[in-house]
Amino acid sequence: MTLAAVGLVVAAQSSFAGSTLDAVKKKGSVSCGVSTGLAGFSQKDEKGNWSGLDVDVCRSVAAAVLGDASKVQFKPLTAKERFLALQSGEIDILSRNTTWTHTRDTSLGLNFAGVIYYDGAGFMVSKKLGVKSATELDGANACIQAGTSTELAIADYFRENKMSYKAITFDTSDQTRAGFESGRCDFLVSDQSQLYALRIGLKDPSAAIVLPEVISKEPLGPVVRQNDDEWFNVVKWVVNASIEGEFQGVTSANAKELQANGKPGQKRLLGSEGDLGEKLGLPADWAYQVIKQVGNYSESFERNVGQGSPLKIARGLNAQWNKGGIMYSPAMR
Amino acid sequence: MKAKEFKPLPAQPAPVSTIGVIPWLRNNLLSSPFNITVTVIIVAALLAIVPDMLDWLIFSANWSGETQAACVKDGACWVFISAWSQQIFYGSYPDGEIWRVNLSLLLLAGVIASSFALPARLRNKVSVPAYLCLPFVCLLILDGSYIGLKEVTTDLWGGFSLNVLIAAASIIIAFPFGFLWALGRQSDMPFARSVSVTCIEFFRGTPILALFFMGSVMLPLFFPANVSVDKLLRVWIILVLFMSAYMAEVFRSGFAAIPKGQYEAADSIGLGYWQKTLLIIFPQVIKVSMPNILATFVMVFKNTVFLLVIAVPEMLQVIMAALSNSNWLGGHAIEGYLFVGFIFWICCFSMSLLATSIEKKLDTSHKN
Repeated sequence: MTLAAVGLVVAAQSSFAGSTLDAVKKKGSVSCGVSTGLAGFSQKDEKGNWSGLDVDVCRSVAAAVLGDASKVQFKPLTAKERFLALQSGEIDILSRNTTWTHTRDTSLGLNFAGVIYYDGAGFMVSKKLGVKSATELDGANACIQAGTSTELAIADYFRENKMSYKAITFDTSDQTRAGFESGRCDFLVSDQSQLYALRIGLKDPSAAIVLPEVISKEPLGPVVRQNDDEWFNVVKWVVNASIEGEFQGVTSANAKELQANGKPGQKRLLGSEGDLGEKLGLPADWAYQVIKQVGNYSESFERNVGQGSPLKIARGLNAQWNKGGIMYSPAMR
Repeated sequence: MKAKEFKPLPAQPAPVSTIGVIPWLRNNLLSSPFNITVTVIIVAALLAIVPDMLDWLIFSANWSGETQAACVKDGACWVFISAWSQQIFYGSYPDGEIWRVNLSLLLLAGVIASSFALPARLRNKVSVPAYLCLPFVCLLILDGSYIGLKEVTTDLWGGFSLNVLIAAASIIIAFPFGFLWALGRQSDMPFARSVSVTCIEFFRGTPILALFFMGSVMLPLFFPANVSVDKLLRVWIILVLFMSAYMAEVFRSGFAAIPKGQYEAADSIGLGYWQKTLLIIFPQVIKVSMPNILATFVMVFKNTVFLLVIAVPEMLQVIMAALSNSNWLGGHAIEGYLFVGFIFWICCFSMSLLATSIEKKLDTSHKN
C-alpha cells in the first residue's frame, strides 16, 4: 500500500553562504529577530505591522542596504531561542532588547554592534508613600518578577546601601503589577523601560511615580554574528548614522534639503560629499535613506517610547552627550 | 371452567407528588439534610458571583469602538478583542490573501463532510486520499510560491486558523504513521518491533513542551551551517511524531479488541497479511477506536497553544503580543484569556458531540 509513501516536502532554504551583506542584497530583505511583543521596542499592531525602537534598527539597515525600509522579515523569538537563531543563520540581525554583557559578547560567537537604549533597573512607588528617592526605601516590601536579573540588581543595591527589603516575587509582569496595585508591596522593581509600560497598565497611572535612580547597567543593542566584519560594520554605522543624524540636526523632514545645501558634515553624512557609503559597500546615500525613511535617533525614540508614544519615557541617559545623556556617535568622516 | 380473560387496567397518571417542578426539586436538590445544605451553599455562591460576573461580562462591558480609549465603562473591554480580531484569527497573513486561509479551512471542512456524506463504497476511494493530500494542498495554497500566487512566508501565518490547520495536518499525517507503528509493535519481526517500540515510547514519554523546545532550539544545531529548515515545518514534524505515538497506542488498543476469530477466519479463506490487515482487521479497529481517535484529536488541538513557548504566533501568542502593544497597555489579559478559552471550549465541545454521534452511527451492537 502507498500509505507509507507520504513524502515530506522539506523546504530547506539556504540562508547565508559567505558574507551576510551579499546574502541580504541577493535575497532582497533583512531577516530580523525581534521579541514576541515588548511595548515600545518591538510590538505588532492590529494590522500586523511591526514598530518599536528595536524594529527601527532593522528598518534602518534595510533602508541603508536595500534602499527600502519595508524590506524586513521579522522573526519573533523567545529569549531562549534568540542567540541560536542568529548563530544558525536564521536571522541576519538580532534586535530584541538584548543586554550587552561581557559574557555574551565573548563566549557566544556574536558581536554587539552598538547601544540603542541605555536601560537599567529602577523603582516605581505609590505616590501616597511620599518617597522621593530610593534611599528612603529601607525596610519596604518589593514586588519583583522571579528569575530576572533585576532580582540580583536590587539585592546588590540594598546591601551596598546597608538597607533591608522584603522581596515578594511573582511569575509574570502582569502578576507583579497586580501585586503592586493591590498594595501587597510598597514599591515595584523592574527595568526602567518596563516600569513605564507597567505604570500605564495601572488603573490610575498618576497614583504611581518612577524614581530617578537607575541601579544597574542594561545597555540594549543589536547583535550580529562574529567573523563577518563587513556586516558588523554596516549595522554599527547604521546605528551611528541615526545618532549622528540627531546630533547634526538632520531629520526625515529636512534630509532632502540638507543633502543638497547642508553644512559639510551634514553633506558627508547624507552622501552628497565623500565616500562613506562606498567604504561600507553600500550606496552613497545610505545614511540619507536611513534618516529619510526611518528618521534620526530622536525621531525614532520619541515615536516609539518617548513623548509621541503612550509610554512617555524621558530621554535621560539616552539623550545626546551634549544634552546630558551619553548617546555619542564616533566621527563620521 | 372458562378461563378468566386477562385485561390490563388502564394506565393511571403518575402520582401528583412525583411530577412537576416542586417534586423534582424535592427529589433532586432537597432529598436529605446534607443535600439541602449543599443546595443552599451552591445557590448562595451563585447569587454572590453570577450577577457581578454578568455585569462585567455583558451589561457594563464596552462593545463598540476601535481603540482603548473607547473602553470607558467598568466592565470588560471587548473592543480589545474586536480590534485585534483579524490578528487573532488569521495572524499577519496579508489582507488581500486571506481568502487562501479561508479556502484551506473550507477544504478541511469539505473533506470532513465528504467522509460522512459519501456512500460507504466511495469513502475509501475518495475520502482517504483526500485526507492524505489535504495537508500538502493547504501547504501549497498558503505558501503560494509553487502555484503562481504571491508567496506568503510562514512567519506571517498565525492566529486561530493556524491552530486548526496545524492540528489537522498533524493528525492526518500521524494517522498512517501511527498505524504502521502499531502494526510494527505487534509484529513478529524483531527489527520492526524494536524500532516501533522505541519511537512510540520516546515520543509518548516526552512532554510536548520539551519536544517543542528541542525542535526550535536543538534541531537547528544538527543542520549544516547554510541550511535552515523553516520553524513551522520543524514544529509540524514534531507534532506529527508526537501524535503518531499516541495514535499508535490508540490503534494498539483497537487491535487488542478484535477477537482472535477474525484473524483466523481471514487466514482460513487464504488472505495474505496486508489483505487481512487492511480488509478485515483495520475497518474494525477504526470502528472500535473512533472515540479514542477523536479524543486524541481534541488533545492535539489543545496542545497547539503550547507553540507560544517557541514564539509561533498561534492564537494565545497573538493575545500575548496584543497585550504588550503600547496602545493597549490597560490590562486586558482577562478578556483575552477568556476569549481564547471560550473559542477552544466551543471547538472541543462540538468535537465531543461529533464523537458521540459518530459512535452511535458506528455502533453495530456487537461490542465484545
